[in-house]
Amino acid sequence: MNGTAVKNQLIFDFASGILGPAKSLFASTYLQLNSNASRISSTFEKMMGENLMDNENIHPKNLKYTDCMNIENGRSTSSIKDPVTCLFGNLNNLNWKQVYKGFKEYTASIDDKDELKLIKMDPGVSVPLHSHGGKEYILVLEGSFRDEHGYYSKGDIQINDQKVKHTPIASKDTGCVCLSITEKDVIFFGKYGSFLNLFTFIKSFFKQI
Amino acid sequence: MEKSNLNNLMKRIQRDRDEMAFSEIFDFFAPKINAYFIQNRIKIETSEELTQEVLSTIWIKSNLYDSKKSVLSTWVFTIARNKKIDFFRKNSKINFKEEDIREFLYQDREINLIEENEAKKQIDRINKQLDEQQKIMIKMNFFENKSHKKIADELEIPLGTVKSRIRHILMKMQEILE
Repeated sequence: MNGTAVKNQLIFDFASGILGPAKSLFASTYLQLNSNASRISSTFEKMMGENLMDNENIHPKNLKYTDCMNIENGRSTSSIKDPVTCLFGNLNNLNWKQVYKGFKEYTASIDDKDELKLIKMDPGVSVPLHSHGGKEYILVLEGSFRDEHGYYSKGDIQINDQKVKHTPIASKDTGCVCLSITEKDVIFFGKYGSFLNLFTFIKSFFKQI
Repeated sequence: MEKSNLNNLMKRIQRDRDEMAFSEIFDFFAPKINAYFIQNRIKIETSEELTQEVLSTIWIKSNLYDSKKSVLSTWVFTIARNKKIDFFRKNSKINFKEEDIREFLYQDREINLIEENEAKKQIDRINKQLDEQQKIMIKMNFFENKSHKKIADELEIPLGTVKSRIRHILMKMQEILE
């Protein structure tokens, strides 16, 4: 599958309601920042609505319309909220963890098999060449970065699988803040590669106990 | 039932809290929503409870529906889908430290009429390009959320064929949606 297909798959899965919490948060932020993704999602929901219109009928045995008119359910929320702010609060006040100079991350405390992280790169900082054990999804929230494959700014998404090796570099002017999902730990190459791999290995070891 | 008819019923509910109009909306949607939950492998007793919640939401929050922004079936689908997500989350082994992430995940996005018409055209084009079996596969995959394996079993075709056909359908949809 190419990049666009993977993006659409993410949107369709989100609209179908089958994503776990980490990917749901990621996808909803993506739809909020990217009008094209939001449009595709709306069209897809409309398709699903048509499926509902034509769906078979299985009549509820113990339910009458009057049963649905007198229960109070939930608050009515119609104000637009920003998922990232709701989850992380003000990004400037976060307790960022420095991975190396100019590169910080903050991992969300969501219980899920996928890891949801914020990544902050100072202007001009680059990430050593690496590839990924599982898929990695990156969404630009602020600023921009570029790598061998292209240029990514606010609302753009990059999805990397095992085959992709890349060296992202944050914009010299703005740096960048990204939301990322990692399905498994990344594998580093190059000068500091073995050290960083050892570090991820040790980290995963401590996570287990 | 005609879409325009459903819209008139919704208008009567919004304007007059018309109970007879609601009973017709109930008669039309309740069996389809109930079927949706059962297709999504929710037990019958629970599916009826969830159906009750969806219909209650339609009644209580009818003023949030705007026929200029979306089609009624889309609005109802999103309510049912959100109930399904809530249900699976409450019943999963996953603990939620955040009180309710879901609340701000699926908020109504502003859609204008031009986009709505554009979407309609795209869906017509997609429907024209898909044959009956492909439409069934889309429904099983995304509406009923069945695995490729389950789809293969139910349609009695090899798993590899299901995978390649769904990939093919997604490519077609992508061409039209881009």
